[in-house]
Amino acid sequence: MSFSQKGRMNKKELIAFENDVRELFLDKRIRFPCHLSGGNEDALLGLFEEVKPEDWVFSTHRNHYHALLHGFGPDKLKEWLCTYGSMHVYGDGFFTSGIVGGILPIALGVALGIKRNRGKNHVWCFIGDMAGYTGMFSECLTYAEGHKLPITFVVEDNSFSVNTPTKEAWGTGHGFDKRYYKYRRKYPHQGSGDWVVF
Amino acid sequence: MNMLAQCGYLFIGQSVLYPGNSIYGTMNDVPEEQRLELPVMEDCQMGMSIGLSLAGQKVCSIFPRMDFLIIAMNQLVNHLDKIKDLSQGIYDPKVIIRTMVGAKKPLDAGLQHTGDYTNLLRAGLRNIDVVKLDSVSSVYPCYVEAMERERSTILIEMGELY
Repeated sequence: MSFSQKGRMNKKELIAFENDVRELFLDKRIRFPCHLSGGNEDALLGLFEEVKPEDWVFSTHRNHYHALLHGFGPDKLKEWLCTYGSMHVYGDGFFTSGIVGGILPIALGVALGIKRNRGKNHVWCFIGDMAGYTGMFSECLTYAEGHKLPITFVVEDNSFSVNTPTKEAWGTGHGFDKRYYKYRRKYPHQGSGDWVVF
Repeated sequence: MNMLAQCGYLFIGQSVLYPGNSIYGTMNDVPEEQRLELPVMEDCQMGMSIGLSLAGQKVCSIFPRMDFLIIAMNQLVNHLDKIKDLSQGIYDPKVIIRTMVGAKKPLDAGLQHTGDYTNLLRAGLRNIDVVKLDSVSSVYPCYVEAMERERSTILIEMGELY
């Protein structure tokens, strides 16, 4: 397995790598849960055209393609998968978690740190479609937008969370009755007069 | 807090820039540029603290009540406590976490603002030191130790000592 001329693996190489990993898993050389990638090569290859080597990439339990496209050597990755498992792959500027949405605020914090350090690099945070519905995603997206942080969130939608159909679980209704009003408060947060802490 | 501020710590959380709880009164000596007021999003705050540390920032993350720190248990237990092990030592974020057991006198803040979960944290965390500041004289040395320690530390202050 070798890198393509551009320095990143191409579609054929990605698919071949994952087929090799499948064989390693079937041969019991990977004795950990293993989440294989497939079918999203074109989308990822396009996205990673924008990802620079010095950028941070955050990924999920399904992370092999992201690791490879961010410069993780295929041999090194296979060794990691056989030694430490597939769900938690780490490298220079590469971070994963097996907790749904768990990487979101960590990626946000790295982006905030880059901004405070006046850094030039960028954070790319890849999450699944179920994580894209979580409150954590809403918080992170709102904060990142509000503070113009150097981060891009990528929702990878395969329609499932484990084997649960994401949209079916959330429901597909629209137009639920939500109301809002704004008012000017009369009293401080606590107490009746001056600010009092407790 | 002045000591941490002089060492370049960034203070993040609620009521670090705006009044609202006892901890705010201890922030007077910290320059405003080292205080970052966050929305109420405790688990996100804990994750952001980890991320800031990964990006090279020194972080003191403030949760004004221990009851609120409980909301951040996901990031605390699943990430801050485990990242060094999960990453085979590639990443080793350090965060100083500051929280408080709410006072019951002169005002009793009730069951959701006075909880003490020190033993729960000690039982569940393997790589984070949990330190209770149960006397005024222990405050300064415990903060010094937290700064010098390589691991993350949770410093638990007692509201009734304020």
